[in-house]
Amino acid sequence: MRVRMAAGLVRGLLVAISATGLAMSAQAQEKKIKIGVVFDLTGPLAGGGSELGYIGAKIVLDHFAKTGVEGYKIEAVYADAQSKPDIAINESVRLLEQEKVDMVLGFFSSAQCVPVAARVEQLKKFMWMTTCISSAVFNEKGYKYVFRPQASGDQFGMMTMDFIAQNAKAKFDKEPKDLRVAIIHEDGAYGVDVSRGNEAGAKKAGFNVVMKEGYSATAPDLSALVTKLKRAKPDVIFHTGYNPDITLLLRQAREQGLKFGALMGHGAGYGVYEKLKEGMGADATYIFNTDPISIWLANQKTMDAKLPPVIKMVGEEFDKIRPGVAIRSAHVGIGASNTYVFMSDVLPRAIKKYGGVDPDALRKAALDTDIPEGGTMLGFGVKFYGEGTPMAGQNERSFPVVIQYLEDKSHVVWPKSQAQRDAVLPLPKGTTYSNQ
Amino acid sequence: MQAFLDIFDVYLLEAVINGILLGGVLALLALGLNLIFGVIDVTWICYAELVMIGMYAMYFMVQYYGVSYFVAAPLTTVLVAMLGAALHYLVIAPLLAAPPINQLLATGGVLFVLQSFATVAFGIDFRNLGIRLPVLAFGEMHFSYARLLSFLAALVGMVVVYLFMTRTFTGTAIRAISQDRQIMALMGVDTRRIYLITSAIGGALAGLAACLLVLQYDVHPFVGLSFGPITFLICVLGGLGNFIGGFIAAFVFAEIISLGGLFSDLEWGYVLAFAFFIVMMFIRPAGLLARRR
Repeated sequence: MRVRMAAGLVRGLLVAISATGLAMSAQAQEKKIKIGVVFDLTGPLAGGGSELGYIGAKIVLDHFAKTGVEGYKIEAVYADAQSKPDIAINESVRLLEQEKVDMVLGFFSSAQCVPVAARVEQLKKFMWMTTCISSAVFNEKGYKYVFRPQASGDQFGMMTMDFIAQNAKAKFDKEPKDLRVAIIHEDGAYGVDVSRGNEAGAKKAGFNVVMKEGYSATAPDLSALVTKLKRAKPDVIFHTGYNPDITLLLRQAREQGLKFGALMGHGAGYGVYEKLKEGMGADATYIFNTDPISIWLANQKTMDAKLPPVIKMVGEEFDKIRPGVAIRSAHVGIGASNTYVFMSDVLPRAIKKYGGVDPDALRKAALDTDIPEGGTMLGFGVKFYGEGTPMAGQNERSFPVVIQYLEDKSHVVWPKSQAQRDAVLPLPKGTTYSNQ
Repeated sequence: MQAFLDIFDVYLLEAVINGILLGGVLALLALGLNLIFGVIDVTWICYAELVMIGMYAMYFMVQYYGVSYFVAAPLTTVLVAMLGAALHYLVIAPLLAAPPINQLLATGGVLFVLQSFATVAFGIDFRNLGIRLPVLAFGEMHFSYARLLSFLAALVGMVVVYLFMTRTFTGTAIRAISQDRQIMALMGVDTRRIYLITSAIGGALAGLAACLLVLQYDVHPFVGLSFGPITFLICVLGGLGNFIGGFIAAFVFAEIISLGGLFSDLEWGYVLAFAFFIVMMFIRPAGLLARRR
């Protein structure tokens, strides 16, 4: 009897052990990271570039979903911020608290990034921003869980001013103090931030700032702004806007006879050439834009050898989704590259070195990031400002480039190290806006 | 003194004229909304979305099917007129006896339905008709032909609606119903028919506005957000249902925006216009042209 009881006990024990083992092995197989991805898929920002950023990020996430990372499955949960900051906050919180995602990624609009970053930090969750640029996200905030490999807005503003400063004498035949510049911008976090960079750059270069003004991106009429620009007679206009405010401004500028020497755009709507061309026809030629370099224009010779095939893959996948696009927007590459940095560099380190995908492991892995120049598809390197610094979480190695649209192609014209051709400056005689 | 005189330059004149032209755009938008509110006593919160559908109709007819603009414009006007009549028949008519808040919420619901429909059916892209009208230039001053057309359309539209309302039997019946909804039914007027006609006319005016706005603005599912609130404010400022009041209010509003934007930041132009609206609501709550009682 005792023997039978002992045998039963042993049998039960064996069953229990094997069941536990099976459960553990199932758990091991189900190791996964859930990533909440937030972009604007509806509303005005969707067509202004957000959907293109989403496509870029999704291509990379789908790519890693096929292989997994360090034994972890990749599961992306997508949400639409609807071009509204409150929706972006609610969706991020919903993803983190109800969908139980391990982190959130994406975000196109700076007006969304600023409040969402504050909320995510409050929840002590991990956030990886791919696209928005406002410096206000980080400035003196001391966040621990928020990271952005993307260049910041003031860098955008400084870069275009630097470009004009270096070309003022040669191209405009004017000393910087005689060059009249106007800074106009949409009045959200993004526009205000870039305009601050513009202002700082203008001060540094010694330009004569004849006008600086913000406006609402949803304003139905910008004719008074155009009239003031006509009165101010700027040589160069530095404009930061989304779309359709860019096309509205330029249409009204044409109708009211505004003339200038050059128009410098700063990402967002200026990064979507197809839409500029549709709205302005031939007048889209000669416009400048500042953005991280398009991954298809970046110098692949100086790039990490494993990246060109990834760029090719992203391009092929994008062409399947959007066939026949004349210029693949830089937004696609920004979404793709900045997502790729996380998936190929930060995430493996978090799993291998810090033992998982919890916010602290991801944070430590992000802080360890040390990618040299040429180590990303966008050409720049990645190293984040550390804790205790004013811009903690911002990539200190990122930089935008200045491109010019010529003959339905975009060409990098600044900085010199990346330039592919000489810029056409000022606007040639006979073109619609030329002040020659 | 010289600084003061410097203000009176050619750019001030340009801003004044641009204000008048913007007023034309806003007056055109307010015309149909005012007519509907005056007669049916229901505010179509979704009015700007009807304009948006009309703009899409114009875009697809002209850009995709190669229809001439001048053929597409009357077709669009008829299409949006039918949409207006359908909106009344399907949404407003069953709610005529319901509290105003229910009617407001119902048309608010239609607003979201139309926005979502446009997003799903046409996508989120900004679309441009691609027609670039020439520019009228007087020395340093330049004016948009598209805006001049809107201004003329608003002027002609208002005169035609005025004549229709005062010189035709149907127009007289519409005005009579707006004064007393119950009694006209007792006098043998088919109120349902009159409501339907009014809604179709309101829709047609939205369609006309769409034909002209599509020359000035990109089309996207949310284009109505730029115009809807401002149109509603103009109708209230002019006196809901008073389309001559609405017409004048549109120009007052547009001039404040234009001149306020010229003398200060553009944003201040809008702030001043809305502040003016609030002040007028205290001084003349029934609208600019309301008779004192």
